[in-house]
Amino acid sequence: MDLEAFQHRVLPLKSKLFRFAMRLLGNDDEAKDIVQEVFARVWKSRLEMENIRNWDAWCMRIARNLSLDRIRENHRQSTGLMNDGFDVLQEAPSPHDRTELRESMQQVEKIIASLPSKQRQVIHLRDVEGFSYSEICEILDLDMNQVKVNLFRARNTLRERLIKINAYGL
Amino acid sequence: MDSKRIEQLLEKYWACETSVEEEQVLREYFAVPANDGSMKELASMFRYFDQQRRKEMQDPALDARIHEIVRPKRAKLRRLLHNSIRIAAGIVVLMVAVWFVRSEIRQTTPQELVDTYSDPELAFEETKKALLMISRSFGTAEEQAKKINLFNEAQQQIQDPDVGSGED
Repeated sequence: MDLEAFQHRVLPLKSKLFRFAMRLLGNDDEAKDIVQEVFARVWKSRLEMENIRNWDAWCMRIARNLSLDRIRENHRQSTGLMNDGFDVLQEAPSPHDRTELRESMQQVEKIIASLPSKQRQVIHLRDVEGFSYSEICEILDLDMNQVKVNLFRARNTLRERLIKINAYGL
Repeated sequence: MDSKRIEQLLEKYWACETSVEEEQVLREYFAVPANDGSMKELASMFRYFDQQRRKEMQDPALDARIHEIVRPKRAKLRRLLHNSIRIAAGIVVLMVAVWFVRSEIRQTTPQELVDTYSDPELAFEETKKALLMISRSFGTAEEQAKKINLFNEAQQQIQDPDVGSGED
């Protein structure tokens, strides 16, 4: 891999890597450190990158491993909260609607943050980042069945809690 | 879009049987507030996913650090090469200057006087030669001084003839 390939194929993953690290660590500075470290490692092993089939999945896998190492080093639970608030969608017409939208987004955020780590990672990679099942298997080092089970559980927990909140305000 | 089609897609979605493209259709459908209907909670979920995906990380400081990771080796190599060339050029200039000065000195200085210190006998001979030359010069100077003295005496006799005749 030369500099041009790095700039065109690896650097554009910056935001994806950051979002994933944020999902795992819940800390802006730490997530940025992880992004930097991922790029440093990929650049260092650039000669071996030619043998890697899917660079996106490979980089995400490094980000995941580094984030989990960081969590272990700090002896803490990952919060999974993105922690940076939400931009209000422009199409929300009134201040009331905007507030309602912000609250509902925060509810989704909290529910995802409360999911078990694997479910949280799977739902993020699939529903936010749009990775295929095989890519998720590669990133998380899980088999297809485990990925689908975790995704099924995550989505259904999310749906049930949102319905409950909507129906009973819980 | 047909709401029945959306319901079908949702069924597949909950069963984790939708493709990435079908999930994109759902996100686009729920991005429109008018399509909320009775599925407000699902709309907020799909909007959340969509919004998260569109978030770009902007941090010039991190960008600079990342570029440093990539650049250093090339820059270092270039800097090393540049410095080496500068040092080599300096050495060449110095050597040429030394060579010129040396050849200039050789041209202006007689070869026989150059560096006799390694041979004491030759040094002694050279010193003797130099002293003889000084001595010869002194001898010549004395003769010239005698002539001047004779001239002075003659001048004195002309100016004062009595001195000469008195003596006679």
